[in-house]
Amino acid sequence: MEIVNKLGRILMVEDDPKDVELTLTALEEYNLANEVIVTRDGEQALDYLYSRGEYKTRSSGNPAVMLLDLKLPKVDGLEVLKQIKSDGELRMIPVVVLTSSKEEKDMVASYKLGVNAYVVKPVDFHEFVNAIKELGVFWAVINEPPPGSVRK
Amino acid sequence: MARSNLELQIARSPLLRYGLAPLSVSVALGGSLLLGRFHFRNVADPLFLFAIAIAVWYAGIGPAIVAVVLSGLADTLFFIEPLYTLYVTRDDLPHFVIFVLFASLLTGFAAVRRRVERDLVQARDHLQIEVAERTQQASLLNLTHDPIFVRDMGDVVTYWNRGAQELYGWTDKEAIGRHSQELLQTIFSTPLEDIRAELLRTNRWEGELKKTKADGTQVVVASRWSLRQDDQGRAVAILETNNDITERKRREQDIQNLNQELAKRSMELESINRELEAFAYSVSHDLRAPVRHMAGYAEMLQKKASSVVDEKSNHYMAMILDSAKRMGNLIDDLLAFSRIGRAETQKTLLNLAQLVKEALTEVQQDTEGRNIAWKIGALPEFYGDRSMLRLVMVNLISNAIKFTRTRPQAEIEIGCANGNADDLVVFVRDNGVGFDMKYVHKLFGVFQRLHQSHEFEGTGIGLATVQRIMHRHGGKVWAEGLVDGGATFYFSGPKPQGDLWRS
Repeated sequence: MEIVNKLGRILMVEDDPKDVELTLTALEEYNLANEVIVTRDGEQALDYLYSRGEYKTRSSGNPAVMLLDLKLPKVDGLEVLKQIKSDGELRMIPVVVLTSSKEEKDMVASYKLGVNAYVVKPVDFHEFVNAIKELGVFWAVINEPPPGSVRK
Repeated sequence: MARSNLELQIARSPLLRYGLAPLSVSVALGGSLLLGRFHFRNVADPLFLFAIAIAVWYAGIGPAIVAVVLSGLADTLFFIEPLYTLYVTRDDLPHFVIFVLFASLLTGFAAVRRRVERDLVQARDHLQIEVAERTQQASLLNLTHDPIFVRDMGDVVTYWNRGAQELYGWTDKEAIGRHSQELLQTIFSTPLEDIRAELLRTNRWEGELKKTKADGTQVVVASRWSLRQDDQGRAVAILETNNDITERKRREQDIQNLNQELAKRSMELESINRELEAFAYSVSHDLRAPVRHMAGYAEMLQKKASSVVDEKSNHYMAMILDSAKRMGNLIDDLLAFSRIGRAETQKTLLNLAQLVKEALTEVQQDTEGRNIAWKIGALPEFYGDRSMLRLVMVNLISNAIKFTRTRPQAEIEIGCANGNADDLVVFVRDNGVGFDMKYVHKLFGVFQRLHQSHEFEGTGIGLATVQRIMHRHGGKVWAEGLVDGGATFYFSGPKPQGDLWRS
């Protein structure tokens, strides 16, 4: 399948295991789950991006897209976003905020920091699966990621 | 007075004045001739002098000179040898000259006396006028309600007007002559030495003082002092005007207290608002997540197991999904409702007819397959937040559509009702299932519903949202209804005030 061949690496930052499971299920349904790295808080996500701590030995290259939750332990999503967008190397990574919150102030803050997309997780599972699928297809397949991104 | 009146009359009439001279001289001449008959000697000169004195006394210098001349002539004619001629011998000359000189002296004395008398009268009249003026001024000071009193430099009260009597309770008779400090027990906010220094330097001082009335109660007065000086510039008295500001001070204190209270309340409110915001934020994140998970897992279960479980189990799973979805809607509506309370309103002049048109487009899909007769009247311009007012119209119209669902021919009317001079009233009327007025107070509460959810779906937040929006616009919402007889929802808001709003 062409999609699989072109699939970029997805970095998911999500602390809730259920959300991780549901998201992965949705991605699997469309064969998008092969290259998904899951980090459980902001610190871990930054460790991954900077190849430090437990990710010291990871293969090099940035993810093709990052799915970022906002409410995270330790370092929250907006801080992670701020860190990425103020780093010369990391700022090119497309970041999609994927959150439960419909709060306008989060949305405004995210866009001000330079987020590439802002998606509110729908309560309805069908809609959720569709949203994840479209995100995965667009960012990991259709979109040409910046140079240096990892592609399978 | 009578005498001076007579004098004045004589003085005013030249005929009388100059007539007095020949008259008095004639009388003196007659008297001298008569007394001469009885051999009295040397009576003519004293009598002529007497006549001259009368003339000068009552008629002034001019007539006196006339009298001197006439007396001299009469004396020469009738009493100096040779008689009946105007010839005067050398021997008689000294007698004649002395007579004239004495007469002149007499005239001079009289003239001085007259002048002195005239000056005295003038001075008296002047004094009378001044007394009248002063009396009038003093009574004017009594007219004012402001307490005014004067005290000398030894603090003794010398004047006390009626205003002072009314405020402090002592009459002028009781107050005058007493030390003002002993009377009023003034409490100074500034040291007295400073006040005195300023008074001597600038002639005035003003400030707030506390004084005690005759009945012992304390008053706060706005006090103005003016220094009175004599011709040499020495301070002689202090005029003090007082204004009772006790009530004003009390009100100022009240206002200050209220302001403090208000500041405290608004701080409390702010903190409550912050808490509320944090709460809403947390609801938005944390409450939605488990609902989403429930829906997600139930769906996955349904997918996996629907073919192997019985119909009842499938129904249960469907119900779980349905509930999760409903919970999601409730949370979203509740958050939207809370956002209306927190969001800033951006008010402009709105075309309500246009808003209604937009609202109708938005609810179009609810009207599909329905038979609805719309009756939309003329609608006014309304001053408010566009998106909020639009939400009001959408909520009211979709309610009307929803609750007329059982009607084969639904009728929905939107129009402008007669408000008062300051308010606009807009209504949305339907011929739907209506409601019992007994429960009208529950209509606008959050999560309050008057129908069972299997009859008419809904979260029970729409009307609460409408009410909250109208309250934020300084308006009102109310409803009238009849079970099975339709319902009318009204909202009102301030009328746009001409150009003020357009700018």
